[in-house]
Amino acid sequence: MSNFTKSFTPASTFLPNKKAGYFQKRARRNVITFLLMAAPALIWFLTMVGWPTIDMFFISLFRWNGGILQPKTFAWFSNYIELFKSTDFFHAVGISVVQVLVTLPLTMIPAFALGYYLTLRRPGYRALRIIFFSPALISTAVRAMMFYGIFIPDGLLNGLLRLIGLSQFTHLWMGEPQTALFSVILIDIWGGIGYNGVLLFTFLSSISKELYEAAELDGAGPWALMWRIAFPLSLEFFGILTMLEFLWVVMGTAGIILLLTKGGPGTASTTLGYLMYDMAFHTRLLGKSQAIAVILFIVGMAAMLLIRRLTRKQYD
Amino acid sequence: MVENPMNTPLISRLSHRIRSSSPAFDIIGTLLTLLYAVLIIVPVYYVFISSFKDNSTIFNHLLALPSKWDLSNFIRAQQTVDLFSAFRSSSWVAGLSELATLLLAYPVAYAIARIPTKLSGLTEAIFATGFLVPNFALLLPVFLLIVKMGLLHNPLALVLVYAAHVLPKSVILLASVLRVIPPELQESAEMDGANIFQQIWYIFLPLSVAGMVTVVILNFISFWGEYFFALILTNNMTRTLPIAISALHTGRFIDYGILSAGAVFSMIPVYIVFILFSERIMTGTLAGAVKE
Repeated sequence: MSNFTKSFTPASTFLPNKKAGYFQKRARRNVITFLLMAAPALIWFLTMVGWPTIDMFFISLFRWNGGILQPKTFAWFSNYIELFKSTDFFHAVGISVVQVLVTLPLTMIPAFALGYYLTLRRPGYRALRIIFFSPALISTAVRAMMFYGIFIPDGLLNGLLRLIGLSQFTHLWMGEPQTALFSVILIDIWGGIGYNGVLLFTFLSSISKELYEAAELDGAGPWALMWRIAFPLSLEFFGILTMLEFLWVVMGTAGIILLLTKGGPGTASTTLGYLMYDMAFHTRLLGKSQAIAVILFIVGMAAMLLIRRLTRKQYD
Repeated sequence: MVENPMNTPLISRLSHRIRSSSPAFDIIGTLLTLLYAVLIIVPVYYVFISSFKDNSTIFNHLLALPSKWDLSNFIRAQQTVDLFSAFRSSSWVAGLSELATLLLAYPVAYAIARIPTKLSGLTEAIFATGFLVPNFALLLPVFLLIVKMGLLHNPLALVLVYAAHVLPKSVILLASVLRVIPPELQESAEMDGANIFQQIWYIFLPLSVAGMVTVVILNFISFWGEYFFALILTNNMTRTLPIAISALHTGRFIDYGILSAGAVFSMIPVYIVFILFSERIMTGTLAGAVKE
């Protein structure tokens, strides 16, 4: 048996040594070239993102006596235990949950309807698309300044309410506990519908017309086309955008909150993301703030992994 | 801006007709879409006209056009927070971050896409995982790292941070562009004795310009508007525009005219970029979202 296999050894093994050496050398040269080209980016990325990620876990395990540069003592998981015992933390979790539960449906469902309507390509849809996408360009700081002038007592919102005779509905939008979080949410919905709507439009444009035609022959009306044909077909992409919006709401809105309400009045708009920032840079509860950061990090990673799962399914 | 339906190609005009919609659907759709367009335009219009009015005019005549195009708000914003120095700072940070990103991302994207080794899978996996990292959660550790590097209040700190934050997206996008360039082009160049740098310079760079432009534009928008890292890593001398204009907001008496002037001033470059490249920005964002 062994003789038999030997006699059938592929010819390639008997190629002259010179040639095998050539391939080996070439493979080694490829590895060296690869390392030279990849190393700068890898080192840069691992230093500025990789190390801070590890450090975040470390910081959360220490008790910091006051400021950032003060001595610290190793404290195992006491920051986490204290966090889970504190009402501040659960209050912030509650605020974040409300913020997510209100923002996501009020953003994503109208965004889908908007995206679908745009695919009908009624006159002017190109211009509308540009208008709807434009809030995505407005940075956090400018957005906050813009809405500051809208929500202040004499601002645009109250002014318009008075103009149409609804003065009983005027509020100190950013200053009342009942409306502060609502104001922040409104800013997100304002831009989020257009941004996600335009992305959904681009995606929905790739659905073949035959599918619609077939459904129309079966007697489907425009509403059925939208919700029974277009929506199921874009469900995965819709899911991806929803998760991205979720991440934005949990973390990205902290900037708007810092600029407009500073988490207040009281703690009425203190979301988890804002609490993390506040503890790190104002109240100097570094360990606890990083315990929250770890939680946010895990939530963020989990959400993104879910997105990846969705996209992978799409490409397999 | 309303397009003439007769200008669209015949096929797409026919396809409009094929997909019927009931009058009710059309009316509701049109009304809601127009309403939303108004809701988007009004705040932008409001902040724009307010930048030319004084505080009392703003709140007494909310949506009226300014009686004259008075630049005094811009001048006072400049006097209060030095917008031009912030503009300079923002430009340097954005420019150097773009340069660093391209110089770092292009070679590694090329290596991942075109050099056959076992390392390319691992490297791509590192950057693909980098996509998942929520950078906001890293504020404090990054702050401590920058302090240790001795770069606190130095704009270069922002370049280090920003380039690192956009690397995953840029690498993956560029690698996907480089991967689809036909191998025959490279082979024929190799036959002619071109070395790897000549191959990149004469074959790959010209064919990936479009992808690079998309990466540069999308990164520019995020560099120009970034808030939190700029807030913790710069000081009054080195702050970027978002920090400078939000400094107009502190203090007991807030003048909304000056605030608007700062906001309008800081948005000019981004709007210019958007007007020039709106189509590319919208499709590029879609590609980024799908790849994430």
